[in-house]
Amino acid sequence: MPLPYLIYVQSCPTCGDGLCRIRVCTRGDRLSGCVVCDECESVWTDPSLHEKFTAGLEAYSACCPDCMHCLWEDQCHWADIQEVCLLGWYDKVKIART
Amino acid sequence: MNSRSNQQPETIANVLRLLPAKWAIALIIAVIAYVLLQPRVNDWFGWHLPSIPAMMGQEEGTPSKSSAKNDKKASSSTRRTDKESSTSPPSSSDNKSSKSDLGARPSAGSKTSSPNSPSANDLKFGVLKPIGRERYESPAGLIYGPGSEEGHRLEHIQRHLTDQPARPGSHGVFEGDMTAFLIAIDDAYKRARGHAKGTKQREEEGAIVYEAPFDRAIGFMGGSEGKRRGNPKLNRLRIVVRDRNLITAFPTQ
Repeated sequence: MPLPYLIYVQSCPTCGDGLCRIRVCTRGDRLSGCVVCDECESVWTDPSLHEKFTAGLEAYSACCPDCMHCLWEDQCHWADIQEVCLLGWYDKVKIART
Repeated sequence: MNSRSNQQPETIANVLRLLPAKWAIALIIAVIAYVLLQPRVNDWFGWHLPSIPAMMGQEEGTPSKSSAKNDKKASSSTRRTDKESSTSPPSSSDNKSSKSDLGARPSAGSKTSSPNSPSANDLKFGVLKPIGRERYESPAGLIYGPGSEEGHRLEHIQRHLTDQPARPGSHGVFEGDMTAFLIAIDDAYKRARGHAKGTKQREEEGAIVYEAPFDRAIGFMGGSEGKRRGNPKLNRLRIVVRDRNLITAFPTQ
């Protein structure tokens, strides 16, 4: 179910067209979050965008910095406002109505 | 013709007499290996290696090596002609050869003579050759495979055929159908890889971002930023690839 709003950090510094959005992974025993460009799939470990994550188990797909698995599988989704708060990143994001 | 084929066994016998025994044996083994493998190699790779009888001019209807080459040339030039004659979307001013590529719309007439080459009907969007496991290869060698939020790169780039006015920031929209978009991507990729004039490329930790200009607008800036600025026309295409795998592509300023 798509959210009626879109949470993002900023435009993607890599591709220029995508939005750096918060992606959560629920594979582990705790909520794990990262920042992913929805266009070029660049991954950063947090909204500061200082540390790019390029490893992972799938060569040509965005992977979770925590479990290293693909971020497009069922156990992952775009974060909602509550999850962004849980990650402590609420003051780092912008929210746009879609 | 008859005298030529009568002379051939004599010539071969003379050659064998002149050769040392071990070389003669090696030659015979090579000929036998060729006879056995030639049809299979042709099947596997779509080549046109002639059979031994064809090389000796004893088999009617089988192309000789030179005629096979000519056939290949002819089919490739036919394909070229088809490309050139079709209507073309925007293309580069600095690369005339790519201009014709951009207009390519493979048709039934552009089929190659090889029985193993995919027909126009087998090609995804008339351009992409299936290479297994939901993966497709473009004529320039870009691979479109599973991945992205949408499940497949082709579905992902299809997002750039329509505007998303509510989306924050800019959203490059290509004006044309999927086939034209794929051809434009291939054209831009080839030119950027060849460092053609006006193109850019930069490495981004695991990915390469290519950018190429076109001599006229290929799309417009959509998204909320595009809407705010009156949807300005865009005449550049940006492509993000990992190895040869396309991640995304979209028109940009």
